[in-house]
Amino acid sequence: MATVELDRVSYTYENASGNATGNSADGFAVRDVSLRIEPGQVVAMLGPNGAGKSTTLLLLLGMLRPRTGTVRLFGEAVTGAVNKAVAGGRIGAMPQAGGVPPRSSVRDLLEFLHAVYPRPMPVREALALADLEGLAGRTVERLSGGQQQRLRFAMAVIGRPDLLILDEPTAALDVQSRRAFWAAIREYAAHGRTVLFSTHYLEEADDNADRIVVLDRGRVIADGTAVSVKQMVGVRTVSVAASDAPHAFDRLPGVAAVTRLGGRVVLTTTDSDATVLALAAAGLLRDLEVVGAGLEEAFLTLTNTALTDAAPTLERI
Amino acid sequence: MRAYVRLELRRLARMPGLLIFAVLMPLLSYLLFTNLHGLTGQDRDVAATYTMVSMAGYGAIGALLNYASGVVVDRSIGWMRQLRLTPLSPVRVVVGKGLAAMVTAIVPVVALCVAGVLVNDVRLGPVQWLAIVPLLWFGALPFALLGLGMGYLATAQTVQPLNLLVYLGMSVVGGLWLPLDALPGWVAAVGRWLPTHAYADMSWQVAFGGSPTVTDLLTLAGWMVAFTGLAVVGFRRSVRSTASL
Repeated sequence: MATVELDRVSYTYENASGNATGNSADGFAVRDVSLRIEPGQVVAMLGPNGAGKSTTLLLLLGMLRPRTGTVRLFGEAVTGAVNKAVAGGRIGAMPQAGGVPPRSSVRDLLEFLHAVYPRPMPVREALALADLEGLAGRTVERLSGGQQQRLRFAMAVIGRPDLLILDEPTAALDVQSRRAFWAAIREYAAHGRTVLFSTHYLEEADDNADRIVVLDRGRVIADGTAVSVKQMVGVRTVSVAASDAPHAFDRLPGVAAVTRLGGRVVLTTTDSDATVLALAAAGLLRDLEVVGAGLEEAFLTLTNTALTDAAPTLERI
Repeated sequence: MRAYVRLELRRLARMPGLLIFAVLMPLLSYLLFTNLHGLTGQDRDVAATYTMVSMAGYGAIGALLNYASGVVVDRSIGWMRQLRLTPLSPVRVVVGKGLAAMVTAIVPVVALCVAGVLVNDVRLGPVQWLAIVPLLWFGALPFALLGLGMGYLATAQTVQPLNLLVYLGMSVVGGLWLPLDALPGWVAAVGRWLPTHAYADMSWQVAFGGSPTVTDLLTLAGWMVAFTGLAVVGFRRSVRSTASL
């Protein structure tokens, strides 16, 4: 039985006058999203701002009702206010921001949630997992941004949920605390639990997820392992030593992105053969280097490709 | 739900300002009203008892409205949404909030009764005390629901002025500051039907040897139904729109 099953789910936000105000051109915030997550998977939902990540998570939690399609958690249909998975304490969620009530201490909040979930971990264990030891007596007002974020993580995991949902969990953290944070999440996932997180940090998805679902303007445009997402688009980077003569590199065949890096021009391309031939024809072939691209390049290419409607839709591999 | 009430009470303990305000204002007013120059003899005894009830009720209502409408803060900072992601049902949350609110109401009631006895020599029989304290405490329940309703329906910007308007308006017109007899006729005509008046009148009746009238009970029950409706509407609307993760 799949932990999460979204079947062709669509959603439109409506403004006061009843008009759709989605992120994509056709007004859908999320369109025909199908997603199946098996127990024990760590899945990253990757996409730029406005891609529909948060909307998808809200639909999944039953806090938004899909216009079309169905949502199932642990095999049970989620219909509006009735969410058996949440009521049964099988879900832990950490929204993007907020959710810590003023004038409560770290211990107050964790003790409260400990009492509310059916199979919680001891408060001490949650404090340790979120690296909050020594801060238990502190009120939330006196926590730093990073400490608050860790508290929110502890609040999401103390109930030992089978499915942990994190919406851009590291947005407020510096590099070092981000690393510690992911270590904690991996530790939690290591117990066979399912984790679904959204991010627009590409390296986070690459480093921490078994599987990456790429969303763009409400659609799933890629879904697979980091390696397969990269392979699917066959993205390479082609780089040459920069010459003095300016050249419209972005007009070369296959090129999706151009960056300059320490005296070199780095081209992200979906057709490295054509790009290299064109470079040769233009007499720009100096100190050539062709390598398989990182996820960042793959991601850029994917979202750029989806921009031109003529391109084939890249769905599920 | 017990865990939630406990959390709310701990949060309340870190907000002494609310209770100080709810106790100090009525207490000072009480001492002022009952020590006016020229108020002597039997008049003064009557005023001491009458105003003790008025100000205890005034304090209890203030504490309830203020605390319960604080639900607007819980909403705006995403706490209500976070709670919806836990196994605790929204109904238990709202009942828990109401129970915690009722705890706040007992404080001004006790404080004013003690002040009445110690400072102004108010003398009531044991049965009267046993009736008045619960009447002032539990009788204030409709205002907890009114506060919840406002907290669910108002925004963080509008809740304070709305609260103050409702609180002061209903207290003055309902005869908590000055007896209805001392108010202009048309004001008293309206005030007679306000929940503030029905609520305080139950205890006034007991304090002066009577018992709560049927009119008082029916009036308060009517308002209780109305405020429950308001709270339910607000609560439902809030549950529907707890979106944006």
